[in-house]
Amino acid sequence: MSLRRFRSALSYSLLAPAALVAPAPVFAVDYLTAEQADRLIFPSADRFEVKDLSLEEAERQALETRLGIPVRDRWPLRLARQGDRYLGAVAVDDVIGRFERITFAVGVGADGAVAQVEVLSYRESHGYEVRLPAWRKQFVGKTAASPLRVGEDISNISGATLSCKHLTLGVRRILAVVQALQASGALP
Amino acid sequence: MIELRALCEPARAARVVLSAVLLLALSRGVADEGAAGEKSSPFDRLRLWGYGEIYYTRPTRRPQDSQADLARAVFGIGYAFSDGTTFDSEYEVEHAVSSASDVGEFEVEQFYVEHEFAPVAVLRGGLFLMPFGILNEHHEPTNFYGVQRNFVETLIIPSTWREGGLELSGHTELGLSFAAGITTGFDLSKWSFSSTYPPYHSALGLEDSDSAPLQATHQELALANAEHLAVHLAANYQGLPGLLVGGAVFYGGAVKVPLPAGVANPAPEVALWEGHVRGDLFGFDLSAVYAQGSISNTAAANAANPGSPNPIPAGFYGAFAQAAYAKGFGTRACRLAPFLRVERYDMGSSYQGTQGPLIPSGLVPLSPAPGDTGTWPRGHDWVSTVGANLFVGEDVVVKIDYQSFSTNADFRRFDLGLGLSFD
Repeated sequence: MSLRRFRSALSYSLLAPAALVAPAPVFAVDYLTAEQADRLIFPSADRFEVKDLSLEEAERQALETRLGIPVRDRWPLRLARQGDRYLGAVAVDDVIGRFERITFAVGVGADGAVAQVEVLSYRESHGYEVRLPAWRKQFVGKTAASPLRVGEDISNISGATLSCKHLTLGVRRILAVVQALQASGALP
Repeated sequence: MIELRALCEPARAARVVLSAVLLLALSRGVADEGAAGEKSSPFDRLRLWGYGEIYYTRPTRRPQDSQADLARAVFGIGYAFSDGTTFDSEYEVEHAVSSASDVGEFEVEQFYVEHEFAPVAVLRGGLFLMPFGILNEHHEPTNFYGVQRNFVETLIIPSTWREGGLELSGHTELGLSFAAGITTGFDLSKWSFSSTYPPYHSALGLEDSDSAPLQATHQELALANAEHLAVHLAANYQGLPGLLVGGAVFYGGAVKVPLPAGVANPAPEVALWEGHVRGDLFGFDLSAVYAQGSISNTAAANAANPGSPNPIPAGFYGAFAQAAYAKGFGTRACRLAPFLRVERYDMGSSYQGTQGPLIPSGLVPLSPAPGDTGTWPRGHDWVSTVGANLFVGEDVVVKIDYQSFSTNADFRRFDLGLGLSFD
């Protein structure tokens, strides 16, 4: 395999869903479960409805082309409701920091803006600063129209550049997917 | 097994190292079992990265000193073992061609294994970058403004500073990180007290000549004398997005300058401390560093070399302040970011055993070339740098700057640079 093709394959796998990349178990710190993240992101919700949503293939490819990163077709989301009122959706996803996966949850409100970002599991020996509330708070209010670029509207953390970049890309992907699902009527 | 002799030939060394790492990766089994019984590739655990810089520098008063240089071509190889253990390494070729008869160097810049016991306890062992300043650990060309690194983090903090040893580091929930280590130190027996010609006569020569106190005496784990070890402690705070505040201190014994028997010659001690701050404010990248060092017990060595133009200093320091319009002008694909930096360095602020450097006055020969004369350079200066980085995407940068020197006026120069980084 030429080095260029190898690197292309490696970079493709960096942002692939966890099911497609299965390294052997390594040291990990689990901070939250998905259910705990739900409660933190939408504390006023009285129930969460799990919905297994899918992107149309044409839609998925268009997002991949626009974002420049892999986008899977299936997106299990947890819809937060307060009575009959739809508050938003929580998506759980993985990105790779330097070597290992970072599992995180993004809550997107009914208005399409980020409500909150939570790190569920972190497996790297560096870059922990992405867990800092002050750093994650930068994403609150961002929409699919926001730049969401490290160095532009998201500050970098010295020594954690890869984790910052990849997590930011992951949030951008979720926002784009939620926007597409709302546009297709799959989401309120 | 890696042949040590192979490491003397840079291109062959690069192939040997890369082959060794790939063999290591493959020896773990081409088809490791994943958690779900699926086969995973050793390439899943391998990471490659690299960066490089090309300079063009033209002294405005001495155009004959103009140079173009492939300053560095660096590639990195990392590998993730299981259970929180990783390996990182970086290999660098300076000045394009490295051999016994060429000016370049092939060097191992980093080579260490790291194991995480807990977020607050990560232990690394090997050859690693020292946690000093803003740039020493993160000096990719896309991470700093100006064609070359600032003088404070080249001459006072001897970037790229690396030592061999052990280091414990960690991060806390509040955004505070620390590093504490024990490493090899400096070797003053390498000091050069005399020279027929000035050791440098341009700013680029100053940066490349390894004349600065800790550049001249660093060991880089190359058959390093380990009789005297050193300790360091660093702390950084990044709890607020866009803000980095930190500092570090180093202290240790050093190899002494050999002197005749009967001459009292206590072992020298080297100390360096620094403080730094970098912040994003309304689209501006603001940064400042202050660094100060000392070398004790140098009186006997300097007294044994009277009239030297280059005695060992007892003290040296430097500081800079910089403002860059990081938001820049243009688009995400092509962004021009201007900057201004003012810095002060003094490689010999105090001396023991001597009044200071005895420097020839007037015009002196600068090299064996007939008619190549100028003034002997001073080891201190005020430098102003104005310029811009043109970022092409995130990973490629074209740089331009002009530097004005207050004391060494012949160093004034116009610079162009090309830098790239990938990971």
